[in-house]
Amino acid sequence: MNHNQQSNDGKHDDDSALSDFLASLMDYTPTIPDELVEHYLAKSGFQCPDVRLIRLVAVATQKFVADVASDSLQHCKARQAAVVKDKRDKQQKDKRLILTMDDLSKSLREYGVNVKQQEYFADSPSTGMDPASRDE
Amino acid sequence: MKDGGLENKKELENSKKQSKSSKFRSKSDDFALAIAKVAVAQVCESVGFQSFQHSALETLSDVTARYIYTLGKTTNFNANLAGRLESNVFDVIQGLEELESGLGFAGASDINRCLAKSGFVRDIVHFVGDAADVRFAYDVPRFPVVKERKGMGSFQEKGEEPHGEHIPSWLPAFPDPEAYATESTVGNGTTSGSDGVKTGLVRIERKIEWPLLNFQQQFARNGNVGDSSCVGGDSGKAWEVSNSNPYLAAPLHFGEKEVDVSPVVLPTKLSNEVASRDPVSENRFVGNHVSVLETFAPAIEGIKSGMCEYSSKQKNVLYNQRPTVHFKIGIGKKSLNTAPDFISKNKDLQKIAYWFENDNEKDDRKRRAENFMKESMECSQEPGQL
Repeated sequence: MNHNQQSNDGKHDDDSALSDFLASLMDYTPTIPDELVEHYLAKSGFQCPDVRLIRLVAVATQKFVADVASDSLQHCKARQAAVVKDKRDKQQKDKRLILTMDDLSKSLREYGVNVKQQEYFADSPSTGMDPASRDE
Repeated sequence: MKDGGLENKKELENSKKQSKSSKFRSKSDDFALAIAKVAVAQVCESVGFQSFQHSALETLSDVTARYIYTLGKTTNFNANLAGRLESNVFDVIQGLEELESGLGFAGASDINRCLAKSGFVRDIVHFVGDAADVRFAYDVPRFPVVKERKGMGSFQEKGEEPHGEHIPSWLPAFPDPEAYATESTVGNGTTSGSDGVKTGLVRIERKIEWPLLNFQQQFARNGNVGDSSCVGGDSGKAWEVSNSNPYLAAPLHFGEKEVDVSPVVLPTKLSNEVASRDPVSENRFVGNHVSVLETFAPAIEGIKSGMCEYSSKQKNVLYNQRPTVHFKIGIGKKSLNTAPDFISKNKDLQKIAYWFENDNEKDDRKRRAENFMKESMECSQEPGQL
């Protein structure tokens, strides 16, 4: 009986923690607007009059995007560090951090999204060939 | 290689059709996607990126949209599974866990875990605590905007009797009989003489046109078949519409003229016969595009008032009703003063400019006119040079 009571208290704490968190969500404005989230949720059939749930979804999405972005940022920085090791004079130039498809596809792959892109488009017979053999 | 290309084309078209027909990505979704792009860009900026490739941003925003969509779908599914219509916070958390299960989260292997203390929720709490509060850049209105549709009146609502017993009264009423052409008016045209026939035909055409216009107007307004109650008010409007819209007006027959012939200048192709006789027309011949004529229009009007007789020969009937088309034929080069025979023409230009000089005209207008003249001279020269 005591154990049950303790577990019940534990559950009550968890519930209260959750409800407190949901209440605190209303203070925090996520970067992803509520209207956008509502639009896609309505499209999928999600029905809930509670605004806090929409905020929860928005925050979760923001966390997801932030995770993907930070992973690709790490890839980008790693690539820049590798380049700098070879050519020290380019250190000043490559300070700009650019989100590229390469980094993005690498980080999205860990999340289960497979993004594949063409490396080049063969619109002429000499595309991708060595310049030496191109003259022939 | 050719055959391979064709096959790829077909596959590409098929894949395009598939992607277009899929419910997720539709044409009406462009606005939402654009907003998603802005939001994702803001998040990336807060993470530390300084710029991005367009394709990368589009991909990431598309993935984000699909994430929200999938989350909503999973949540709804969980709620329905529990026998509820409205979703719960626990449905959402379960859906989140399902999405994150690929990466793993704390407590995933515990089968008796409580959702309230899910590891994922804890992560979110930490995230909210750490992340800076960056608001969305724009004010987003509620979308999609739902348009209020005016329903068609049923027989009952309009107080009309349906045409037969087989038609129930709660069905929408038939459109007004004038909205579609009737055959009874055709007989009127054959009774009188030749003139009468012409006018009769014109009358018939007009009569057919008005109800059709009527019909189309109502259709456009209601989004449905038109209301019979609106007919009376619209007939006057339809007449006005047909009067003002030159494309819907009755066609003029040979020799017939409109009463108001405004002395607006025409393109030089039509007024070539006049141009050869007229000293003033030199500038018109030079300027082959209407924009030159347009600047001189007020001045030319005054001169042309003395030449009304020539206007009758020209077919300016059609042009009165249409707005002047402004298009520039020629190479869009700025006028350079390096042409060899430009200096000799300069005197002519000054003379022409002097003819149209007005005390009321401002200096910059004169300068603008001169520039137009110079450029038109350039344009007329170059085809000759070619």
